[in-house]
Amino acid sequence: MIYNPFPMRVVSKRQEAPGVNTLKLEFVREEDHEFFRQNFKTGMFGLYGIYGEGESTFCVASPETRKEYIECTFRQSGRVTGTLANVDAGDIVTFRGPYGNRFPIEEFEGKNLLFIAGGIALPPTRSVIWSCLDQREKYREVTIVYGARTVADLVYKNELDDWKKRDDVRLVLTVDPGGETPDWQDHVGFVPTILEQAAPSPDNTIAVLCGPPIMIKFTLAALQRLGFSPENVYTTLENRMKCGVGKCGRCNVGSVYICKEGPVFTAAEVQAMPQADL
Amino acid sequence: MTRILLKNKLDDCIVTWRNAGYSVLAPVKRNEMGSFSEVQKASDMSLDLILPERTIKDRFFPQTEPMIRYKISKQQIDTETMTPPDTKSVCFGVRPCDAAGLEIDDPLFGWDYKDQYWFKRRNNSVIVTITCTASDDFCMCTSVKLSPESTKGSDVMLRPLSNGNGWQVETITERGKALFDSVSVHLSDEKAETAALAQVPVRFNVEQVMEWLANPTSFESQFWKDIALRCIGCGSCTFLCPTCHCFDIQDEGDTYNGIRRKNWDSCSFANFTMHTSGHNPRNTQSTRWRQRIMHKFNYYRGKFGVNSCSGCGRCTRQCPVDMGITETLQAISNLPR
Repeated sequence: MIYNPFPMRVVSKRQEAPGVNTLKLEFVREEDHEFFRQNFKTGMFGLYGIYGEGESTFCVASPETRKEYIECTFRQSGRVTGTLANVDAGDIVTFRGPYGNRFPIEEFEGKNLLFIAGGIALPPTRSVIWSCLDQREKYREVTIVYGARTVADLVYKNELDDWKKRDDVRLVLTVDPGGETPDWQDHVGFVPTILEQAAPSPDNTIAVLCGPPIMIKFTLAALQRLGFSPENVYTTLENRMKCGVGKCGRCNVGSVYICKEGPVFTAAEVQAMPQADL
Repeated sequence: MTRILLKNKLDDCIVTWRNAGYSVLAPVKRNEMGSFSEVQKASDMSLDLILPERTIKDRFFPQTEPMIRYKISKQQIDTETMTPPDTKSVCFGVRPCDAAGLEIDDPLFGWDYKDQYWFKRRNNSVIVTITCTASDDFCMCTSVKLSPESTKGSDVMLRPLSNGNGWQVETITERGKALFDSVSVHLSDEKAETAALAQVPVRFNVEQVMEWLANPTSFESQFWKDIALRCIGCGSCTFLCPTCHCFDIQDEGDTYNGIRRKNWDSCSFANFTMHTSGHNPRNTQSTRWRQRIMHKFNYYRGKFGVNSCSGCGRCTRQCPVDMGITETLQAISNLPR
């Protein structure tokens, strides 16, 4: 039936930041895994659940180049995420999806890539980043701009280290003023400011931008000042969802159903939506 | 010559249908509330209601739909998928607006991912509609391009005879024809006059409404803030609507046993669109009312080519603060353009 989820076994849990965890999940049934392998593309989302508590919507944080497992990263906040944060390896949780559209990364081939993420929005960006880095030869320069409120709030710290060490990735890290620690070596400032200072070239470049609404707003303005056209900027919108398949009636922004026509949109598409509904 | 179903033969039809495995649903008035319930005989039915308070939609998309039963133990989680019963049903005495509502919702439940709960019941049901010979001040089918005799969503149309003894039978679909062929011995072939249809005045110009809603500047118009001031966000209009389809999914039970359910939800409720972060895209009653009107007369049309309103008027008739869609749409048709 349409709303039946796949049972998933927890392989491991990793704490990313205070209240933020990543679960690595494996499929219990081979047919579910096969379905996922055939359908998952980077940018798609799912409903993660646990019986007795319910389901929550977040992205698939793992890339389309690695489909053995599903990874999801979430902030512990309500009833479902609070329970998911307390599972142990071997526990059974559920996944429904993958749903929605995707980042068209084959259209990005031969171009420079600029990834910009704020706080807990690195997970959806990370799926695209690894999908591209796993086929590194297809893309030109890769720049990642990532910021969080404080040093502690940065997620995927071990991967940030990996990206920092790579000579084929330019990583620009920042924390909000006041969020730095005494030994912090990177930038201090809000993402839009640091982005403008880093001044990546808009020529032949695709930008992927994920973050809270307020960051998106100011970063889009910064990108425009840098010369990026809204058609070359991609983002992913996250609204409250229950069904994930265009029926439960809440995720629309104007006439656009985020779950079916999104969650991935260009900045040009987002600007065409009624802004007061975002 | 047309086929006639006399009221005194209705019991025979009910028996035949029930013997063939159908459950027969009809408007039944209980405690001042009319709703579609299973009936055993014609006298159980309240066919003289202009419109029952609750719609026939309730029987296809129930207020709460059990989907998965779960049982959690130390060793494992057992789940059991729950599906609607296989029972076939005859929905007798539906009004044209309610029947149309079902057809309006079909594409929503069917696009891309098919909602089997809805379609199993749709496929197992025959809609027997009775044309309206009476209406009230809230009926507005003619305003949304339907009428007291529109056949949208109906398998059979019954037209009341002017002598009050029965109905003229007009079958619309193969399914409806089969249902009445099965009771042909109880039908008579005679010439009879049908009663005059209800006269439902056109209450607003839907073309003008659609035109105004489609104008991008209308979205942020002050109009919404003024018109929705009275709304208390109770959601009655959405729960009584023959086309409203929004729902929530919730696990209800205790730590070890429970049921995952699809429950009605409403765009009128403040937490309907509330993000985990606390951000709420539709954080005032006026933005929620705008969503409701836009959804029905602009967005739905853009997706499925039809307005999500069949003109039953319940939203206005039952509104505790005397608001409703009719007043809003009248106000929109009167806006300067």
